[in-house]
Formats: sequence, structure tokens, C-alpha cells
Amino acid sequence: MAATTTAGAEALHRLKLTEPPMYLTPSSELANLARTASEHLFTLLKPYTPKSPFDRLLVDEKFDAEQIWQQIDLQSQPLISSVRRQVNKFEKDPLEVNNMFKIGESVQEKPSEVVLAGEEEEDDEDEDEDEDGNEDEDEDEGEREIKERDAGDVGDMFFNEEEMKLMEDDEDGDYGLNKKKQVLKKTGGKFGDEDEDEDGDGDEEEEDDEDDELGLLELAGEEDDSEAEEIMYDDFYTSNKKHDQNKKPKVNKEVKDINMRDDEEHEDSDIGDEDGEEDVDEDDDDDDIVSDEETKKDNLSTHEKHLLEQRAKIEQVERENLEAKAWTMQGEVTATKRPKNSALGEDLDWERNVKPPPVITEEVSQSIEELIMKRISEGHFDDVQKVNKLPSKAPREMKELDENQSKKGLGELYADEYAQKTGLVSQALSFSDEQKKEASLLFKRLCLKLDALSHFHFTPKPVIEDMSIQTNVPALAMEEIAPLAVSDAAMLAPEEVFSGKGDIKEEAELTQTDRKRRRASKKRKFKAENAKKMAKKPRENTQTAGDGKEE
Amino acid sequence: MLRRNVRLRREYLYRKSLEGKERLLYEKKRKIKQALEEGKPIPTELRNEDAALRQEIDLEDERTAVPRSTIDDEYANATERDPKILLTTSHDPSAPLKQFVKELKFVFPNSQRMNRGGQVISEIVETCRSHDFTDLILVHEHRGVPDNIIISHLPYGPTAYFQILNVVTRHDNKDKKEMGTVSEAYPHLILNNFSTKMGERTATILKHLFPVPKPDSKRIITFANQSDYISFRHHVYRQSGGPKSIDLKEVGPRFELRLYQVKLGTVDQLEAQNEWVLPSFMNTSKKQKILGE
Repeated sequence: MAATTTAGAEALHRLKLTEPPMYLTPSSELANLARTASEHLFTLLKPYTPKSPFDRLLVDEKFDAEQIWQQIDLQSQPLISSVRRQVNKFEKDPLEVNNMFKIGESVQEKPSEVVLAGEEEEDDEDEDEDEDGNEDEDEDEGEREIKERDAGDVGDMFFNEEEMKLMEDDEDGDYGLNKKKQVLKKTGGKFGDEDEDEDGDGDEEEEDDEDDELGLLELAGEEDDSEAEEIMYDDFYTSNKKHDQNKKPKVNKEVKDINMRDDEEHEDSDIGDEDGEEDVDEDDDDDDIVSDEETKKDNLSTHEKHLLEQRAKIEQVERENLEAKAWTMQGEVTATKRPKNSALGEDLDWERNVKPPPVITEEVSQSIEELIMKRISEGHFDDVQKVNKLPSKAPREMKELDENQSKKGLGELYADEYAQKTGLVSQALSFSDEQKKEASLLFKRLCLKLDALSHFHFTPKPVIEDMSIQTNVPALAMEEIAPLAVSDAAMLAPEEVFSGKGDIKEEAELTQTDRKRRRASKKRKFKAENAKKMAKKPRENTQTAGDGKEE
Repeated sequence: MLRRNVRLRREYLYRKSLEGKERLLYEKKRKIKQALEEGKPIPTELRNEDAALRQEIDLEDERTAVPRSTIDDEYANATERDPKILLTTSHDPSAPLKQFVKELKFVFPNSQRMNRGGQVISEIVETCRSHDFTDLILVHEHRGVPDNIIISHLPYGPTAYFQILNVVTRHDNKDKKEMGTVSEAYPHLILNNFSTKMGERTATILKHLFPVPKPDSKRIITFANQSDYISFRHHVYRQSGGPKSIDLKEVGPRFELRLYQVKLGTVDQLEAQNEWVLPSFMNTSKKQKILGE
């Protein structure tokens, strides 16, 4: 084992030393070196994998790159998940980490670089495929970058730090991590440029790859001496530790470094959320301050923590209130006041007062047709009905011919007519004639009124004055011309003034019997009149009642 | 003729103003008649007028007994003559609209189609009046799809504005051979579910576009109202076999109508009074059942 390890380490070392262009041409020597190196790395990691199907990586010449890669993959998958679990555990309970790693911040910078290298390797790893040489290439690249980083050179053709910062800023804006970063930035470079890297790593840290650790392993191995003072016995050999204590300290340390890296970041993020400006502002670039923060956090009671959270929330809400509202909250907004096409992104919903038009499905048509068929079978249609209007002309009187011989002779008929003409015999007019006369009279009057209304130039008919006899002028006056001075009273004869019979008595002269007689006669007359009236009314009643029934 | 129209209009307005009083009188007469029939004494409030009213009751017959409502006065004499309809479109119609109007010409018996050209509405109404048309129908469109129909009854009659939806024309459905020609017999009408007053009014407007059919006519036109959307269907049926076996064959276009305005005047009278307008701005307009149910 020792021989292989040295051989493997040497192979790895030699791989790193080769120039990159050498990798472009396939050379069997490089391939062999790569195989030994991978085998070495595999065995290094084997203790950590709980169930690894292979004791060692089978890298004979017969195996091609794809098979070797599969073996590595088989081993590394469970490893990754276990590491992730660990990291989550530590994330939930940072205090445990504190107990485990009392290492201060001094190691922080180195591990960050290391982590950065790991990140780079990861990125490349994700893209590249099965070439063994790639693994080593990545490590080389990472190492080179670290060397450059140490030199302080930021402009690298593969990696532009400022670009990465910008990109991460944008991404963090999407995930809402901007505040955290701003807070962290405010610390004034406490964590330096590596802050963004840390946050970026925080997302990626869970995907710790085998190579990450490998890189760390190797690089950390080189820096071991500088950090020797800060490593304590208690970090490794405490009772709470869950790791296997027989693991190599080098490896353990690196694993812990990675873990510590995570927790510090989580710590920082926690601090950033809670205390943010207060605590961080006070801190300097000192290890002690970090530990101070940790202790402060420990000393806060639940109530105080609650208060801190509330304060943070209040500040956030106040900040939002001070800002201008979003356009969706601004009441009436025209197109000029909102960003272009922003209404398309919003989910607008309002109540519409209109019934939506009916969708004509098969069922609807079926129902209508059923209705139609029902109506047809009933014969019940809503057609236009022809209305019989009133006849405009009066119906012609049909004269009926009486077939029977008249009883009266012809001579008699002529005699009757002559008598009627001369007026000797006043025949009682028949009932219908009377009615006809009345009707014609009424109609004449009506026509007169209508004519008056409807003609623009109405000329009323000349009034035919009836000959009427003035009764209060005595007969003699007709023949003689009375002098003007004669009054009316003188004109009339007494008989013409008063026509009465018998003794005329005044009221005062009447005797009792006379008075009684007069009263009796008055009553008789009144009774007679009433009787007539009553006789009329019942007749009318019965008539109309009969009509009502007929109707 | 103008003067006659003006006089008729004035008479109509006068009668409308008298309507209230006439209704009261009618009510009184009705009460008296009822009392007489039942043999009960006449109600006390009518004793004074009893004699005069009784005379009038005697002279009335069925037609005059019922008080005339002025609402359908425009159609009072409509049944005396067959309706004569003129169909036109809006300005510059597209080809699908022209097809649709052609189809409508077959739907309404006694109808004529006229090209719109550049005529103004007042000109069209003048020609209609002079040629003794009874109804004028205008069809409007939106990008080829007919979307609006205006039915105007001509001697000063009401104008109904409908929106057309879900049009399926004969041209869309089938080719010519399958369709055959449309029967031109006077059709029977089915007007279903027009139960409110406004529904009755719409029903008379639609009804009087068609003449009086023969009882054995095999052509049926249906206006079925469902929640204020009137479905128009045109069928021809035959009774094959015994009773109760009726085969319906759908013929002609099919569309939905939605009434949104009725004006008490012809189309060219812009200042005519609105008899009814669809209230779309009210909060309860969703719940309203204007034409039926």
C-alpha cells in the first residue's frame, strides 16, 4: 500500500508538472501516469465510502476510459450523498460545528482558495467527459489559479473575477440573496473578494465532488506546515465526534475544513439576516471577533432572538413602505406609467357583468330539435293570426219579399197613403221608425261637430228656424198692431194669463178641510209618480240582468 | 303621406296619454259586470256612475271591451297585408357577408335584397316608404363574420337592434348538391320562452316579419330564447310513416341573437326615444332575465 501510495503520489505530482500542451497529443506515458494517479486517489477515498464495490480501482491497460470512469462514479455517488447529509446536519446545528472545530478564522482564507479551486474543478467537471487526464487537468488549473490568486492577479483569460461577481450578483438578486451580500459587503472586505465566492459556494457546496476533496487534499497537504499551530488535539479527539477516529488527520482536517467552511458561511448568513449591520460593523478582520459573534449568538435567549427577528421584519416593512409602490398597486395606471408589456405578465382578473355567450353544443341543438318536434306533433305554432277587421261599409239591407198576398186591397192602400199625406189621420209611428228618427238626428248632430273639427274652412249650415207660436201674445195682437206703450200684462187677456177652474182661494182663506183635501191630493200625485218610477226601474233591472246573462 | 304619418303619430301619443284613464274605466266596468253576473250588490263606490257605465257596457262588444294597450299599436294593422322586407348590408360588404344576406333572403318570404352602394340610411328609408315596404333589415359585419342585425318596422314602427353570435351559414356546412334549394313556402313559426313583457314585444317584432302560413306548411322557423340569447333555427320536416315519427332536416343558417336596444322610431330617426336598452353596466345585469323565464 505504501509503495502504491508513493507511486501514486509521485504520478500525480508528475502529472501536474507536465505542460498542458503535452496533453493534447496522446501519449502512453501520460496515460499510465494518469491511471496510477487515479488508482491512488481512489484508495485514498475508499475508507470514507461505506459500501464501495471495489477494493481498488481497476486500471489495467485493458480497461478503457469509460470503464474507469464508471468505477469512480460508483464510488463517489454514495460519498457525495453522505457528505451532503453531513453538511445539512451542520447547517441545522451550527453549534455542533463550533464544538468540533475550534479553529479560528486563520484557516479561513486558505480554505476559501482551496474551495475556489474545488469550485472551478467542479464546473469543469460538469462539462467534461471521461478523459482521465481531465481530472488532473482540472487540478492543475485550480492550482495555477490559486498561485495566480496568491500573486494578486485578477485578470485571467479563463476566469474573470469581476464578471463572476456581476453574474453572481444577478443570480443572487433572483434568489433574494442580495441583502445578504450587501450586508456582507458592508463588512468592508472582511471576507474580501471571496465573499461572493463563498455564497456561490454555499449553493454548490452540497455538490461536493470527489475531485473537490481530492484537490483540497493535495493542496492542503502542501500548506500543512503553515497551519500546524492552529490545529488542536480537541478538534480531532473529542467525544462528540462522529467521524471515525482512525482516519488520517490530514484527510480529517480537510474534511473538517470543508465542513467548517460551510458552517461559517451559514453562520455568516445567519448573522447577516439577524444582526446584520450591528454586529458585523463592529467586527474587525480578527479571529476573535468571529468567536465573539458565535458566543453572542449563544447568549441570546429565545425571547431576544424573537425580538431580533421582529426588528428585522419591521425594518424590512418600513423600507418597503418608503419605496415607491409597484405599478400594480397604484390605482389607475395608464400605459405610459408602467413598464412595457408588463400588463401581459400580470394575472388580471375582474368581475364581468355580462353573461357569456352560449356555446352551442350537440346537447343544445338536440334540445332545440326536441322542442320543435314536440310543437309539430302538437300542432302548436306561434304564427301571425289574421284579425277580422270591422266592416267599413254597413251591410246592405236585404229587403225580404213577402210572398203572401196582402190582405188589403190596392184601393185601400192608396186611400191610406193619401190620408197620411194630408195629415188627416195621424198614424202612430212604429217603434223602429222612431228609433230611426232619433238615430238620424243624433248622427246629424255628430256630423256637424266633426265637420266643424276637421274642415279648415268650416261653414256651418244655415239654421232653419222653426215656426213657433208665441203663446203669450194674444191672438188679436197678431192682427192689430199694439201701441208701444202697452205692457205685456195688458196684452194678454186674463184667461190667457191664468187658466184655472173653480174657486180660487188663497192660503189664508183655506179651511181645515180644504187644506186636508189639498194635502191629500198632493200625496196622491206624489204616490202616483213614484209608482211609475218604480215600475220603470224593475223593468230596467230585469232587462239588463237578462242581457248580462246572455253575455 | 308625411302629414298622415305625423297625424298617426300624434294619435298614438294621445292614446298613450289616455291609457291610464281608460284602464280605470275598464276596471270599473269590469267590476260592475262581475257584480251583475254573481248577483251581488254593486260596490258602493260605483253607485253614482252605475247608470252611465251600465249603458256603455250594453253597447260594448268583445273588441271594445278590452282596453287597447298602445304598445303593439304599430302592429295593429300589420296582419291585413303580407309583410314586404328589404334586406341590405353596411357599406362595402365583404364576400361572406354578401353570402349571408343572400341566405337571409331565402329565410324571409316576400323579401328583396338590395346592394348598399353608397346610399345613406335616410335614402334607403325613403325608398322603402315610397315602395310600401313594411320592414327594413340591415346586416353589419366584422371581418367577414356578421355580427349585427337591425330590424326596422317601417311605417314609423319600432327598431330592434340585435347582436349575432355563433353564425353557421349554409355555405360553410355543405356543398351545393347536398343542400338543394330552400323551400319557399310560408313557414310556421315557433317562438319559445318569451314570457316577460319585453319578451312579448320582441316576439311580435320577429313574428310580423313573416306572413300568415298555410296550416299544412312543412317549413318551420324557430326562435328559441334561453337566458336572453335567441337561437334561430330553420327546419323542414316530413312525417314519414305513422304518427309521432317526424324527420327534421336542418336547412338554412343558424345563429344566436342578442337584443340590445329597441327604439320607438325607424332607423333614420336618430332622436327617437329608446323603448329599452340593455343595461350592461349594472351589477345585477348578470342575474337579469329580460326576455324570458
